[in-house]
Amino acid sequence: MDVAIPFLLNTLTLISILLVVSMGLAIIFGLMNVINLAHGEFITIGAFTLVAVQAAGGSFWLALLVAPVVGYAIGLALEKILIARVYKNPLHAILVTWGLSLIIQQVLVLVFGASPQRVSGPFAGAVDILGVSYPLYRLFLIGFALAVFATTIVLFRKTRFGLDLRASIQSSEMASVMGVNADKINARAFALGAALASLAGVLLAPMTAVTAYMGINYLARSFFVVLVGGAGSVGGVAAGGAIIGGLETALSYQVPTTVAQALVLVLAIIILRFRPTGILPA
Amino acid sequence: MSANVNHTSAYGMRPLAKLKPSSLIAVLLLAVLAVLPVFIDGYTLSSYRDILLLGLFALSLDIFWGRTGILSFGHATFFGLGAYGMAVATTRFGIDPYWLSVVGLLTGVGLAAIVSVLVGYFILYGGVRGAYFTIVTLALTLIASQIAIGWSSVTGGDSGLIGVPPFSIFGYSFIDPTASYYLAFTLLAVCLLVALKVMHGRIGLILKAIQDNEVKVRTLGYRTQFVLLATFVVSATIAGLAGAIYATCTGFVAPDMIALLLSTEVIIWVAVGGSGTLTGAVIGTFIVWQLQQKISSYSVAAWPIFIGSFFILLVLLFPRGLPAFFLEKLRPRGKKEKAVQ
Repeated sequence: MDVAIPFLLNTLTLISILLVVSMGLAIIFGLMNVINLAHGEFITIGAFTLVAVQAAGGSFWLALLVAPVVGYAIGLALEKILIARVYKNPLHAILVTWGLSLIIQQVLVLVFGASPQRVSGPFAGAVDILGVSYPLYRLFLIGFALAVFATTIVLFRKTRFGLDLRASIQSSEMASVMGVNADKINARAFALGAALASLAGVLLAPMTAVTAYMGINYLARSFFVVLVGGAGSVGGVAAGGAIIGGLETALSYQVPTTVAQALVLVLAIIILRFRPTGILPA
Repeated sequence: MSANVNHTSAYGMRPLAKLKPSSLIAVLLLAVLAVLPVFIDGYTLSSYRDILLLGLFALSLDIFWGRTGILSFGHATFFGLGAYGMAVATTRFGIDPYWLSVVGLLTGVGLAAIVSVLVGYFILYGGVRGAYFTIVTLALTLIASQIAIGWSSVTGGDSGLIGVPPFSIFGYSFIDPTASYYLAFTLLAVCLLVALKVMHGRIGLILKAIQDNEVKVRTLGYRTQFVLLATFVVSATIAGLAGAIYATCTGFVAPDMIALLLSTEVIIWVAVGGSGTLTGAVIGTFIVWQLQQKISSYSVAAWPIFIGSFFILLVLLFPRGLPAFFLEKLRPRGKKEKAVQ
């Protein structure tokens, strides 16, 4: 039990973060077939929002509210100015979003400096769970991230926006014939994905070193979640997140983290060999 | 040559119009490079030698990307594997100095080839194409650079490895700048000419056809997955070769030789020269390298911003590459050709 419970909770921490990050990516990929290499930078933007809010004297909770708004606004602006022009050509989308990613990183370095930023979480202590002590903040993170994921699912399944979104993912032509405004849906979905990533950035920040390059680590993982799970479906994200997050945590108990990540990549590639469209495609 | 030209012309004007000038330019370029050491020497010559090797690396990417239209975002992995293979083999194992460089070369190039066969088999035979391929190769570079930084007992971690000896074979050492320049030049010339020859011919046409419609080509009886895999492996092996020799020339390896930024830069070198032209990849490397020296001397942070802006401009303003853009400006044509990516 002493080993099993922290292991389970560590796994849940990574999975819940991956779920929130990958959800946005999966929607954008499933909907527009755009591979958004700047997705990791929205995580970074979220984390730096926390840095800025705390530097201005605000609390963690304020940042948790502000970051999604910042992410949504930046995402919406970038979609309107740049991304909307490259939907037709996936390769162009890759190059443009990669260019954006490099620019955002350097702008953050120029504004905040290259050294890691200091942020503080809302809770310091640890709690006892079945005789095992575990950081309170991580428990909060798991609960909050899962709640956000659940909210997204409700948004996806129960609202008019979600209906239009799912219709567009299935067939964007048919959806627009039925009166769905594709440009509007694309823009809002992209911004929503950015907002979710920013939120994840705030949640992550107290546990890791906040640097301009932190997003890239989560970019590759969340792409594997989407590739392994299947693009454009909630079930796919959940399955992919569980597999990638679970595998990486389990492996990192046995081998160094780098090797664990390499092994996860190898396994993801092997899974792709047999299921090129993922485990649960849309 | 003439047989090949006749052969391609039967399939339409595009390959003929696109490839023939690039062969001419290639011969001219190589002629200029061959006599360069007469006019310059010392440090300048050794920096030209480095550009030649990076040009060989760019050529390797263009062989795959330019001809199949599938973008590898992880080519620095193979360059880095070549460099690290060479460095680790020559500095760690205490091998007989007579065979040292050969063992290093085989290790580096072999690593690049093996990794490309494994990765290529699973993703190309799994039907992973286009954007998915780009993502998997991107992740490959990320992991490779993490291993290069993290596994410091073997790779030297952040500071890399120093003391890679100059390349030597059968007792002859390429320690002199002129000798190592000609080593790099010979490798580049051979690879470039062979690549042009092959891409003019049957295999080039098959690859082109696969890019247009893979299912159709397979229906015609070609093993397209095997052709793609073979091209990928050749491309990765050349990248590994460039990396291994590069390490012997600079005398050290560092994690930035296997980093994502290098994967990105090599795409720009190829894109500036025009992807698919092969010779253009080498010329693009020369142009961008000079530009990078100027911009980096102004500010280190400016260079990634420049690359980022370049990617966005490339797509929005020159979606078919810079040479195509300028050629179009020079000779406006009535009939628009399809974009060659």
